[in-house]
Amino acid sequence: MTKTLSLAKSNLHPLEPFIQKLLGAEALLPDSESNVIEVVGILKSYGVVLDAYSKNLIYIADHQFLVLFPFFKYFNGKVTLPQLLRHWWHDRINFEYAEYCMKTMLWHGGGKMDEYLDSDDFLQHCQAAVAAKIKTNLPIRALNGLFPDFLPEQVRQLAYYSALGQFWRVMSDLFIDLSDAYDAGKVQTIPQVVAFIKAGLVAAAAIPISYAVGINGTSYELLPKSAGLTFLMDVAVPYVEAVFFRGTPFLGTVSYNAQADQISADQGRFEYGALYADPLPIGGAGIPPTLLMQDMRHYLPDYLTAFYQSNGRGLDDVRVKICQSFQKSMFCVTSASLQGLLPHPADTQDPREQATNHAFLAGWMDRLATSRLDVVQL
Amino acid sequence: MLSALILIPLVAALVLILWPGKLEAQTAKVVSGIGLALTLVLLGFLATQFELTTPGFQFEELLPWVEPLGLSYRLGLDGLSLPLLVVNSLLGLVAIYISEPTLHRTRLYYVLLLVINSAVAGAFLAANLLLFFIFYELELIPLYLLIAIWGGSRRGYAATKFLIYTALSGVLILGAFLGLVWLSGNTSFDYDSGLAAALPLAQQVSLLVALLIGFGIKVPLFPFHTWLPDAHVEASTPVSVLLAGVLLKLGTYGVVRFGLGLLPDAWMALAPWMATWAVISVLYGSLAAIAQTDMKKMVAYSSIGHMGYVLLAAAASTPVSIVATVFQMISHGLISALLFLLVGVVYKATGTRDMTVLRGLLNPERGLPFVGSMMILGVMASAGIPGMVGFISEFLVFRGSFLIFPVQTLLCMVGSGLTAVYFLLLVNRVFFGRLAIAPPTVAPQLDIDLPPVTWRDRVPAFGLAMLIIAFGLQPNWLARWSENITLALHQPYQGFVQARTQFAPTAVPAVADTLFVDPALTLPTPVSPVFADPSAEISLP
Repeated sequence: MTKTLSLAKSNLHPLEPFIQKLLGAEALLPDSESNVIEVVGILKSYGVVLDAYSKNLIYIADHQFLVLFPFFKYFNGKVTLPQLLRHWWHDRINFEYAEYCMKTMLWHGGGKMDEYLDSDDFLQHCQAAVAAKIKTNLPIRALNGLFPDFLPEQVRQLAYYSALGQFWRVMSDLFIDLSDAYDAGKVQTIPQVVAFIKAGLVAAAAIPISYAVGINGTSYELLPKSAGLTFLMDVAVPYVEAVFFRGTPFLGTVSYNAQADQISADQGRFEYGALYADPLPIGGAGIPPTLLMQDMRHYLPDYLTAFYQSNGRGLDDVRVKICQSFQKSMFCVTSASLQGLLPHPADTQDPREQATNHAFLAGWMDRLATSRLDVVQL
Repeated sequence: MLSALILIPLVAALVLILWPGKLEAQTAKVVSGIGLALTLVLLGFLATQFELTTPGFQFEELLPWVEPLGLSYRLGLDGLSLPLLVVNSLLGLVAIYISEPTLHRTRLYYVLLLVINSAVAGAFLAANLLLFFIFYELELIPLYLLIAIWGGSRRGYAATKFLIYTALSGVLILGAFLGLVWLSGNTSFDYDSGLAAALPLAQQVSLLVALLIGFGIKVPLFPFHTWLPDAHVEASTPVSVLLAGVLLKLGTYGVVRFGLGLLPDAWMALAPWMATWAVISVLYGSLAAIAQTDMKKMVAYSSIGHMGYVLLAAAASTPVSIVATVFQMISHGLISALLFLLVGVVYKATGTRDMTVLRGLLNPERGLPFVGSMMILGVMASAGIPGMVGFISEFLVFRGSFLIFPVQTLLCMVGSGLTAVYFLLLVNRVFFGRLAIAPPTVAPQLDIDLPPVTWRDRVPAFGLAMLIIAFGLQPNWLARWSENITLALHQPYQGFVQARTQFAPTAVPAVADTLFVDPALTLPTPVSPVFADPSAEISLP
């Protein structure tokens, strides 16, 4: 006799257990003492690094506006010989990673901000600012005349600098607060971590995202408040989509051959984001994720350093371990984001709302099927 | 003085044997290391006293032994043996340094290593044919035991095969030595007596064939090579280092010292055949290496190919090609030792040498980046990339042999190109790509955590790599010791070389035309008047 699954069971999503976890206010990451140490510890150092990244992104957006050769853009306006020497000696934060994320967001687009940057309203604001900026600069005016799309595109990029800076400003504070709560014993489990992040995201959801630049004493709005851009839907969600899910092909130790169709022509099928990345290639010079891992290792809390030291190669492969912990933490942030974005309350008793929630999460689980979700369960 | 090179390792072995109570591995390593380090210091001292312009043996020691049989305890050092003795002590030290601290039967292991070192030193120093044979045979049993006791799962088979082949090699060599002395009517087996022997060509050819097969087994040359891959695969890393770096050189040393040095008429008659044999060995070794999936077997087959170059260069017997034989022996000793050492480290870290399952070991964080970079250096040196000693040796082989055997040389150059092919395969498969110990399609390794490479593995690899580069950039540091013996060995072949020179008879390169030679060097007069006539042709009866 042939046994078959019941209809109800056969319709279950392959990642149904994870859907149930999210609906039950749990996380995609298993709850364990070591996972809590890794996630909170790495988010602490990530928070410190994000603080520096966000300040620099906002500085570039505000003070390097249409500076075509921004030699000192990483100095936040404080260019001194000791700082230059430290920079050349590479004793510094790798702000290149922040730009990598910004450019990834710009390239993938998404959300109302992307729509607004393509609108006539933005173009008018943009042209006013551009005209004021290049009024006395004949070569750039000539350039603008020859290539009228070039400077607006630069301004769009600067808008992303600003928006990502504002987003990371909030996230940095949130992660530092999480670390303080852990140190105070208020957060002790992974579900508590997720709940803390979700609460922070929900609290910041409606924060307006705007951007104005001062030129010769006059302020020029580029992302006006009237555009109605908000923190969660217009920056956080496109950020998660671009950086957690899609990313860009990894330059450096792993080579992709576009001619051999190893890179999908469909941007929606890109799977190079943080949730998909293989941590093992970490370590090659100049590769974006490696830069972040290098930055974070300067700010690891002692308990996390001790945890790494006691495992495997100790601190010899600390960047790979940081990347693995980072990936775990990003699954927690993803859990919080998905729970925050649920169309209806997770504990709704209405079957139609339950079905909508389920379908919403099933769609995300489809995309996570090829991610490192199975690996972080180990 | 020369006896000390043989006795010091034996004294160290005796200390280990008599060591009271349980002998810790670290103690055994230190005692053995001190013994070999002393031989290295002594060799350094001898090198400072070495007379570069004297072609014959120096620092000779002669003690009567069994005189009715022609056996005397006669040792001598010349430019052919000095570099090989240094490599013997150096790689002996490396083998001791990299030996596992957790070995069982520690005392026996280190004693055997020391006995091998002593026996090999004796063979390189022996200036009496029977004495050479005694030392040549003396290293067999220790090496057999090292493979049979500390080898891999098929160690019994590999060790027995090695013993049978090499014992046969010894029988042939002994037969040739006996024949050389008896047929020439001499009563002494002293090397110089044999040199003066003037035998009919047919007898010389018979003796040379026996010698070539005997030493050809040890080298090894196709088709007598089959013991080598098995021995390497089953041997532990230190033994493989010694086997490839030093022990194979006994074969090539024997070919040059006794074949080229003692039987000139037969050598000239058989030279074209030897060059052809060299081509077969080179191409066979290279093609077989390409077919391997076991890293160690690949390196082992590459040795067969590279040892073929020594035979080609010796067959050409021009001044440059004879220098090339020394260079190729030293170069192969250093490079193969490095490669086997690194293969051993990879095996220790990953538990496999299978190139179909290893991937991405160059990964800078979780992989073996130091091993990978050293391996790339090693394979580049082996493939003859300029700047490393492998290039100098191959260049000298081809430069010295081309005018005498152009076709064979060109075919051997193809073998050199094949070296690049199989080593690129190795590096590409094992070290590049995504880190894994299985093809991603079969079993993706989700969290590879290979153990870090210790200083015990790094230091000797780095040291060997530095020597490979140093001699590649400054070949004169090596060549200057061998100038005199090179020219002396070439003397009987001047006419042969002139007669066989292709394309442009005056274009035969002299050593003096190359980078190395002291122009003030004076040469002994030709040994045989036969070669006074440059147009004389040699043919088989």
